[in-house]
Amino acid sequence: MLSPINVSMESLNLMTLAPMLIPVVGALLILVIDIVKGGLHKSLYVVLSLLFLAMDFAAVADASGIFMQDGTILGVFDVMLVDGLAILAQFIIVGASMLFIPLALTHKRFHEFSYPEFFALFLFMIAGFQFMVATDNLILVFVGLETSSLALYTLIAMHNREKSFEAAVKYFTMGALAAGFFSFGAMVFYALTGSVEINKIALVLAANGYADIGFVLVGVAFFLAAFGFKLSLVPFHTWAPDVYEGSSAAMAGYMSIVPKIAAFVVAMRFFEFLVHSDIVWLDIVLYAFVVITMTASNMWALVQTDVKRMLAYSSISHAGFVMAAILIGTTQANSALFLYWILFSFTNLGSFSMLWMSRQKHLAAHQSSDHSYDKFAGMIKTAPVAALIMGLFMLSLAGVPPFALFWGKLYMISSAVTNGYTILALIMALNSAIAGYYYLKLIVYMFMKEPVIDAKSGQVYVSNATLALKTIIGIAAIGTIFAFIAINPLLEFVTAFVYHSGY
Amino acid sequence: MLDHILSILIFFPALAAVFGFMIQKESMRAYGVSVAAIEFGLALWLWYVFDGNVSGMQFMENFPLVPSFGINYILGVDGISVFIIILSAFFTLLGIGSLTDTPKVKYMIITLLFLQMTMVGVFAALDAIVFYIFWELSLVPMLYIIGAWGGPLRIYASIKFFLYTFAGSLVMLVGMLFMAYFYYQATGAWSFALLDWYRLILPESFQLWLFAAFFLGFAIKVPMFPFHTWLPYAHGQAPTIGSVILAAILLKMGTYAFVRFSLPLFPDASAFFMIPIAVLAIIMVIYTAMVAYAQKDIKQVVAYSSISHMGIIILGTFALNVEGISGSIFLMLGHGVVAGALFLLVGVIYDRRHTKLMSEFGGLAHVMPRYAAIFGIMMMASVGMPLTINFVGEFLSLLGFYQQSHILTLLAGTGIIVGAIYMLAAYKKAFFGEVTNEKNKDLPDVNKKELFGLIPLVIVAIWLGVYPKPVLEPINNSVKSIVQLMHNKSTTELAKERIPNLIKEKVIVIKKTVIEEEVR
Repeated sequence: MLSPINVSMESLNLMTLAPMLIPVVGALLILVIDIVKGGLHKSLYVVLSLLFLAMDFAAVADASGIFMQDGTILGVFDVMLVDGLAILAQFIIVGASMLFIPLALTHKRFHEFSYPEFFALFLFMIAGFQFMVATDNLILVFVGLETSSLALYTLIAMHNREKSFEAAVKYFTMGALAAGFFSFGAMVFYALTGSVEINKIALVLAANGYADIGFVLVGVAFFLAAFGFKLSLVPFHTWAPDVYEGSSAAMAGYMSIVPKIAAFVVAMRFFEFLVHSDIVWLDIVLYAFVVITMTASNMWALVQTDVKRMLAYSSISHAGFVMAAILIGTTQANSALFLYWILFSFTNLGSFSMLWMSRQKHLAAHQSSDHSYDKFAGMIKTAPVAALIMGLFMLSLAGVPPFALFWGKLYMISSAVTNGYTILALIMALNSAIAGYYYLKLIVYMFMKEPVIDAKSGQVYVSNATLALKTIIGIAAIGTIFAFIAINPLLEFVTAFVYHSGY
Repeated sequence: MLDHILSILIFFPALAAVFGFMIQKESMRAYGVSVAAIEFGLALWLWYVFDGNVSGMQFMENFPLVPSFGINYILGVDGISVFIIILSAFFTLLGIGSLTDTPKVKYMIITLLFLQMTMVGVFAALDAIVFYIFWELSLVPMLYIIGAWGGPLRIYASIKFFLYTFAGSLVMLVGMLFMAYFYYQATGAWSFALLDWYRLILPESFQLWLFAAFFLGFAIKVPMFPFHTWLPYAHGQAPTIGSVILAAILLKMGTYAFVRFSLPLFPDASAFFMIPIAVLAIIMVIYTAMVAYAQKDIKQVVAYSSISHMGIIILGTFALNVEGISGSIFLMLGHGVVAGALFLLVGVIYDRRHTKLMSEFGGLAHVMPRYAAIFGIMMMASVGMPLTINFVGEFLSLLGFYQQSHILTLLAGTGIIVGAIYMLAAYKKAFFGEVTNEKNKDLPDVNKKELFGLIPLVIVAIWLGVYPKPVLEPINNSVKSIVQLMHNKSTTELAKERIPNLIKEKVIVIKKTVIEEEVR
């Protein structure tokens, strides 16, 4: 005879779910509105999404206040886990999404934004990411991962241009494979330890002294492959440039930031105990991943003729750079990861938005692709302010001080130095120098070459511009220039959260 | 205002540059000259209020930037940096004043003013990260100056310039992070402040690696052989103003950084690497002098001669004694004045003939007597004639190194002789003899605008050659404290032997008097 299960509502701690439920409610509301009265203007949906995201942000901020007081909070049968990592990641996820969604208000009409489903899916996706980061239960991670991924595939496909379906299918296939790897890895660990919670897995493995090291390594290998896909680590990166190319520039910028931070947090949770368990093999493999991802994608970026593809490869390189934090695995490195990603999201979203702003409905005759380098030739003459801002983003991505990403690089390399990864630090520095070349190439095109397009069509760079877009780019630009003012509070904030979560 | 004079010196031109966007093209030159003149006036005022008898830092400013990571906005000047700051203000003024009217003069002036911010910033920064920020930021305006206004190969030249220096300084950044980390290990707090680092005594094995990391960043900037390959391109393609600023100020960042960072932070490593670096410097002196002799383009002659003289500066710096270092710093100023003037002079004939090939000229002394006279004076200064500015610096640098190695100094001396040969040869080709080329028959002599740039340089070159004391003495004071610091910090025998102890002499002097015990 089973005794009835008694669960008090208090022990469930339902407030831990609040941040995720807000976007879900928002998404449902958008769907309902569409059912009741269809054909409304997209601006309504944009603003509704923004509104729910703002509430989401407030909920996360609220949770952060509670975390600072009471420490880590568990909820809903201890499945939800609200710690510093979860909160920081959610801040980035929701914040970047709030910057992204107004980009839908373009001047030109683009297919996807006319569907309310786009915005509903977008909100579902965010909820998925939030679930992913706010748990250490592998099953819930998986659910969050799939929720967000499936929504994202659809969002890409909705772009409905030549290469979008290809991109969506590619992403879907790769994503399905990664999901398979992930579930297989989780299965191995469940078989080994009888648990799907990362902290319990860690405890059990530590208790038996990694007796089944062979199986652990098999599980790790599968996880590495799964995260490799999500984080676009070389050699699992092959989908990334094509998918970025196939999706709209704004979406590509978004994809280079938000899904990755979610994956980074899960990777951080998962690899943290493994890195500290002195498994030599894992150290070597992670080291190789980091170095190869950084270097190889830099090399590929050098030879691109399309700015968007260059930025795609550069995003891969940045992901490799940040992956170093997982390898190093100290509080400083983990804080550096968040600091870097916050700064990166400003700059990268800004630069992709600049591409988005210059997106034409139809290609001019001489243009081989949407954003070929040639298109940007002589931009300083035809659209000086836009050229200056784009140049600023490029300098920041290259890590030229005092612009935003320099500080991220500084702190990240410092965390490598502090932990005796001297060679890695040098490789990171030299990679930044290589990367300098392709960012510089765009600057050279913009500032030093003669315009290819005739002077009056300088409009092409701002053909999509609306007030909303300009505001977003303005925010990104200000964040990039004046980052040095915000570094200290940001660093203290991030470090406190990471430290109090025990990472 | 005096408390923040350095910040004002740094950010005034930048602010002016931002406002410059709003100014009409036609009045831009006047605006640029007035801003640069105010800046120069401020720099002179700095000199006026600067106490030359104090060896330490003056006008220090300290403002926390990222305190949790030990990064502070710290500024300060001593006898070494104060004159280089004045020099950069001086050259920005001359450069803007003698700018010829190109269609893009507005953006050129804005870029120059931004560049000035970074230059003053580098020489005033006393925090490694702040230093690094200005150091890197200076690449951007220079990239634009070369890339947007240069010759046919300008894009290649500008990218090469940027990437070389960018790569070198990233390695330097890793070195800086190590320094901060060692400081953290020693004291438990992060700090990038230079004066904090000065107190750190590192074991020799660490010093060698860190020295190498910093060396790469500085050596590319100087540029030392074999890292010099970007410079001939940069000079060859840059517009006149770009070459002037590059030779007069930007290259000095490297040599200045050696004195500011490498020597006091790593005295043992400096002593250890003294001979190899001196050999590189001598190769630089002789090899580039010979290359200069082979040039057909007069600007390349000046460019290579400029590298050659930078070799003497390095030699003086690594003499590791007061004469050598003071001499090298004085030579930095001298080289700035002379090389800057020579590039301006080359610009003058380039404006008239749009060629820099010496074969195109000949007998210019007949056509442009004033020009020939100024060129002659500057050339004499360049080869180090006594009573000109370069003589003082070269003499002191070589004197300093003579105490370390006679043979190497002799070798470096031959470089100076070769220097005299190629300079005189170039001068002969361009200025003496009959006017062979019809096009040169009625070239106008230097005009007022050009004289505005050149006359002050001639005056300075002779004035400081005849009477270097007002500049040399403050430099000497500051250098003494650096050398003493190096001696105190050095741990190896080699370093103790190579770096003189200045206090010792004082003790001997005092011993002869009565107050012996008090000192002990």
